[in-house]
Order: sequence, then structure tokens, then C-alpha cells
Amino acid sequence: MTKSKPQVKIVNCETGEEIVRDATVDEIAQMEIDKANAAAAQAEADAKEAAKAAILDRIGLTADELKTILG
Amino acid sequence: MATTTNYGWTTPDDTGLVKDGASAIRTLGTSVDTTTKNLNPSTTLGDIEYRSSTSNTNTRVGIGSSGQALTVVAGVPSWAASATSTLTTTGDTLYASAANTLARRAIGSTGDVLTVSGGLPTWATPASGGMTLISTTTLSGASITLSSIPATYNSLYVVVRNFLPATDTSNLNMRVNGDSASRYTEFTGFGTVGAQTFTLTQARITAANDNAVSQNLSAIQIFDYTNTTTFKMWQTTSFSNDPTTTTSVRGSMNYAVYNQTPAISSLTFLCDSGNLTSGTVLLYGVK
Repeated sequence: MTKSKPQVKIVNCETGEEIVRDATVDEIAQMEIDKANAAAAQAEADAKEAAKAAILDRIGLTADELKTILG
Repeated sequence: MATTTNYGWTTPDDTGLVKDGASAIRTLGTSVDTTTKNLNPSTTLGDIEYRSSTSNTNTRVGIGSSGQALTVVAGVPSWAASATSTLTTTGDTLYASAANTLARRAIGSTGDVLTVSGGLPTWATPASGGMTLISTTTLSGASITLSSIPATYNSLYVVVRNFLPATDTSNLNMRVNGDSASRYTEFTGFGTVGAQTFTLTQARITAANDNAVSQNLSAIQIFDYTNTTTFKMWQTTSFSNDPTTTTSVRGSMNYAVYNQTPAISSLTFLCDSGNLTSGTVLLYGVK
């Protein structure tokens, strides 16, 4: 079974013409890069959160208690 | 022959003969008639008279038109247009079409403003300002590109309504001119002074959207998008449904910088990953 390609829509603001077409090989490659970048960014954010939680755990505070302290 | 003191009418001498009496009376009568007529030249209803440069002779001025006023031209009275006679129609405005010349400007159309054309006041449609809706596009597929954006505005204003990603927690992002290189950076909040490098390949519009509830709204102001001498910048304000608790919302404010100088002629909207399920993007040009 052939996997359908992602579709991109292009609207010409001067003429109003709308084109919907399959994404090109380059565009699909870029989507993969974007996806990997997003995953990496999420992983980085998750790691920061985990590190923050670990510090709070070490000093025996919850995130809410820290917020209260910081005002 | 003797003459009268004021008008010089000829009268018989005291020593004149009686036989010349009839002739003398006729001569005097004719003189009186002539003088009287010279002093009273009016012929028509409304005529007025004024002292002419010839002694004992008045000049007639025919009555003017309705609403005219008596004025002075070359040292003598004359009827001329007045404000009342010039303003003939409701809404008329009075102005001087030349020195000491009254003229009327008929009222313009509803919404017109008074402006100057050729040195004279005139009513005109206000110069176009505000916002012009350039396009309205439904979000779908992997990306939406608004291309051939007219370069005739001062700035662009984009509104994104009810964006829904196919993938939960996905952001909505924007690229300009189809550029996916690391040429973007963004600042959140105000007063950020730390140096930023251009490591992003797109700019975030919304943060972590839910993929089932889409009550979000984003507004993007893209400033000076046609300049070709410096980087581009836009400011984004957005809220979206929290993907964990969809009855809560996440808000974000940031501004982004794109480190290229060509004018912005296209905008592309896309998710971090996956498709755009739905939503509407409205592009306005702002004068």
C-alpha cells in the first residue's frame, strides 16, 4: 500500500489562486528535520523540567511551594 | 438773463418785457425738467441712484438679484453676490475662489472629508487607511503558504483563529519567504537584553496546542515588511487551549527577528510535526 504524501497549499495573494499539491522530496525532507528539531527541543525542555524537579526534590520543596517563596 | 443760484436755471431779468414771459417760463420749465430728470434717473422698480462725477447728475443702479448685497466697485455702489446669494443649496460651504470673490462648494458625499486640491477646498473620499483584508485561508495539509503578498502596505497583520493541529501539543509556526534555514530567533516577554543567536528555523506562533479543542486566537504584526535594508521583525500575541486541561488556556507574547534583508513576500504556516487539521488565517495589509 502506497503511503500518501503530505499536501501543501499555496495561496497567491494577488490572484487568489489556490494550489494544493503533494509536498516535494525537499519539502518532505524539511518536514522530517522540523520534526526532529521539535522532538529535540521537547526533549531539552523535558530534561530541564526533570532537572528542576530533581533539585526541588533534593531540597524538599514542591514546585508550588517554590512559587510561593518566590512570590 | 438772470440765472438761479443752485441749478443755473435762466429766469427773466427784472427789466424784461412782459411779451417775453411765455418764452421765459417755457425755458425755465425745460431747465427744471432736465435737472429733475438728471437728479432722478430711476426708471424701474427697485432702482437706486448715486451722485455721479458730473455735478447735479445722479446715476441709476438697477436693482440686483435676490440675496445680493450692495458693495463698492471702483468707487461707486454696485450690487454683488453675497454669502446668502452664493449659498444656494443645503450643505454649501463658502470660500474665496479669488481675492474678494465668493464661491460655493457643494456638500460632498457621506464620509467625505474636506481637503485641498489645486489650492481650493474640496470634498474627497478619505485617503485609504486602516486595514485591507488580503486573504482568508483555511488551514489544512502539511503547510499553508500565502504567496505574492502585495508590497503596497506599511505592515502586515495576521490573525489565526481556531488552529487545530493533528498532533497533540504541536505548535503553530511561521516561516517567511519559504526560508527554513537557521535565520530566526525569538524573544519572550519584554526587557530581554541577552544576546540571541539565529538558531531557529521558524518562529512560533502558538504554544503546545490541544489537538481536539481549538478555541485559540493568535495575532501577528509584521512591521516594515517591504524594507530591503535590514532584518525583519514581528510581534505575536496568542492563547491556546492547554493540551492537558483543555478548559485552561496558555498565553504567549513574543517577538521574532529574521536576519535577512529581502522584503517579505510570502508566509508559510506549519506545525512542528504532522498536519494542520483546521483553523483560519486572515492576512491584512495595513496602511
